[in-house]
Amino acid sequence: MKFSRRTKVGAAVACAASFALIATGCSSAGTGTSASAAPVELTVTTFGTMGMDALYAQYEASHPGITIKANNIDTGGNAQTDAFTKIAAGSGLSDVLAVEEGWLGAIQNVSSQFTDLKAYGADSVKDRWVSWKVDQATDKDGRIIGYGTDIGPEGICYNSKAFAAAGLPTDRAAVATLLGGSGSTWDKYFAVGEQYQKATGKAWFDQSGFIWNSMVNQLPEGYYTKDGKLNVENNADLKSAWTKLAAANAAGLSAKQTQWDWNKGTSFTDGTFATFMCPGWMLGVVQGQVKTAGGDAVGATAGWDFADVFPGGAANWGGSFLTVPTQSKHPKEAAELATWLTDAKQEVAEFQAAGAFPSVTAAQTDPALAAGTGISAFFNDAPIASILSKRADGVKAQYKGPDDSTIQEKVFGPSTISLDQGVSGDKAWSDAMTLFNQLIVNK
Amino acid sequence: MTLTREPEASSPPRPDRTGRKSALTYKHRLSRLDVKLSPYLYISPFFVLFGVVGLFPLVYTFVVSLNHWNLLSGPGEWVGFDNYAAELNDPLFWNSLFNTMSIFLLSSIPQLIAATFIAAVLDQNLRAKTFWRMSVLIPYVVTPVAVALIFSNMFSEQNGMINHLLSFVGVDPVMWKTDVFPSHIAIASMVNWRWTGYNALILLAAMQSVPRDIHESAALDGAGFFRRFFSITLPSIRPTMIFVIITATIGGLQIFTEPRLYDATTPTPGGAHRQFQTTVLYLWEMAFQRQNFGKASAVAFILFLIIVAFGVLNFLISQRIATTDSRTDVKSAKRVLRRKAAADREAALAASGAGEPVDSPPSSTLPTGAKEPRS
Repeated sequence: MKFSRRTKVGAAVACAASFALIATGCSSAGTGTSASAAPVELTVTTFGTMGMDALYAQYEASHPGITIKANNIDTGGNAQTDAFTKIAAGSGLSDVLAVEEGWLGAIQNVSSQFTDLKAYGADSVKDRWVSWKVDQATDKDGRIIGYGTDIGPEGICYNSKAFAAAGLPTDRAAVATLLGGSGSTWDKYFAVGEQYQKATGKAWFDQSGFIWNSMVNQLPEGYYTKDGKLNVENNADLKSAWTKLAAANAAGLSAKQTQWDWNKGTSFTDGTFATFMCPGWMLGVVQGQVKTAGGDAVGATAGWDFADVFPGGAANWGGSFLTVPTQSKHPKEAAELATWLTDAKQEVAEFQAAGAFPSVTAAQTDPALAAGTGISAFFNDAPIASILSKRADGVKAQYKGPDDSTIQEKVFGPSTISLDQGVSGDKAWSDAMTLFNQLIVNK
Repeated sequence: MTLTREPEASSPPRPDRTGRKSALTYKHRLSRLDVKLSPYLYISPFFVLFGVVGLFPLVYTFVVSLNHWNLLSGPGEWVGFDNYAAELNDPLFWNSLFNTMSIFLLSSIPQLIAATFIAAVLDQNLRAKTFWRMSVLIPYVVTPVAVALIFSNMFSEQNGMINHLLSFVGVDPVMWKTDVFPSHIAIASMVNWRWTGYNALILLAAMQSVPRDIHESAALDGAGFFRRFFSITLPSIRPTMIFVIITATIGGLQIFTEPRLYDATTPTPGGAHRQFQTTVLYLWEMAFQRQNFGKASAVAFILFLIIVAFGVLNFLISQRIATTDSRTDVKSAKRVLRRKAAADREAALAASGAGEPVDSPPSSTLPTGAKEPRS
């Protein structure tokens, strides 16, 4: 039982690898001489939980002659390695490839390897997305290389049982107010955390990495300025956010968890920490972790709830795009499929299947979205759709440079872990700067 | 054979039939080509295969290592040996090399000692010999991925089995994944678990070829088990031991799967602070995550040179052992060699007067005699 999560991941990787082989083998075999009227097989590569599985059959039914070979990779990181390797090799990419926001910057550097969707009607559909989503997918020559799927507006997941034990309110509206409501700041969030920590002796959040992620994503400019210049070492905004995070760690607010492991999910069920950073797609992860730990993932007995508040204002974490690599032999059909998969109706279906919050404005206001998902019950019947719509309000696109994900994960990743382990904020920052110079500046 | 071929082989009729002359010489040439070339053709599959999957990647890697080469955007400018210079000055590269050596030493030394011991035990007259021999090989059958997943769980810091067991004897939980040395021990234990039995079987095969009568006579002279083991068994299996050490070295320096999967949750492969990032893991990260193909190729080439250096070192040691009798030290071995060489020279001088003329004529006539019927 203990090994189940890891082995599942392993199996998923193995499946993904073998499917990729099969999929590419099939696509190259089927494309040799076939005319346009002949049956077309499209390959699709997605990652994580994007909620598209049920839609493929629907598309095949309404588009005779098209068959879809879908392949889902377990995490965004593995999908990135997979995609980069195949771009480097010059072959093997799917007809439709999902790209994550974090590594879109690196993809933009080689945007000529991706089909300009304007050739297949991008101009006529580009108004369906929130405008910043289209901006992100537009390269420096004005070509649109991706269609937005989901976005990641962030709210706060909190454990109402833990809150009750500390004498804090448990109602989600009251929790939102407690954390500062619409004027919530990180100072306020950490101050309530200290109050909680004093009352219970337990940690407030799971680990520093996700907090840092949210803090950076929220800034108007992150590791790069708007015009694409690196701006890390003397960036006062970053430094002040770091100082706050270090102070919170010094106050014992971090549960020092290993991210994406959380003691095999147990930390979500035993009250190790009380709050958690929750972009829309993370809700499914919380539910999955409770399930892995053997908890009740159907009802609300684990105590998790979802509040309409986020420290520092609106923040976005993650979100993806569907692209059509120029390697594709069927760019027209692939673009059609991408257009269809990112249409309002389909994005609503994706939200209901996986909690991926739509980037299409018509889908965000679709009443069907508010009808809720299977996840709502787990979060004490929280109106997840309407909360996320409110959390999406005010989110702005941040320019993500080519090394954005490397800076996030390899430069600051180790130092946020150092903070958890009790290293001082200054030392951890200077370690990060050393790594920054080694990995990014002098690469 | 010679009778039937005689008319063909005889040359006189040829000039008469001028029409067929060219065809014949063509055939003639063809068959000469056949004789000269076909042996190469027969052995060519190996060389073609080696060229395609061995030599070409090696040369290509070297070419890539002399360029700025981004994974996605491809070759950039020619930078000569700058990538090598940069890597040799990169503390992260040296860190990976340190980790590799540390894990290598922590795994190879205990592993070889244990393997020798196990082999010595299996060499005894046991009941159900095959059962025991197969048993030690079972870990080798399990894939490294499965081993890494299971060990990663056992060495988990919070709820892991090892820390749980340690708590029974009052030892504080060890930070198996955070601290440098414990993580090296944990990874080395994976390697040991998988390879000890395999090496034990190879050493066992060597031990079984040691003549039993030596053991018996030593036993009659009153040598105990340990005395016989150290004075007879070990010296006799030294060449095999060297082979095992060489393969363990090559494997140890290229270790990848175990550290990669030991803590798969960290964004940096090999631990958040690169505590157990080995050189191969470092070069993989360099190529496919940091997208610097040029430097990754440089690291690959440096690693190649390091392994070659280890190989040469091992070769020199094993050669020395091959030319020495098992328990004589180097000095006496040299003395023996000198004496033998002197004796050889004398013998050669004595033989040279009569030997040469007898030897050479047959050797020059035989090949021509053998060639004639074929042409």
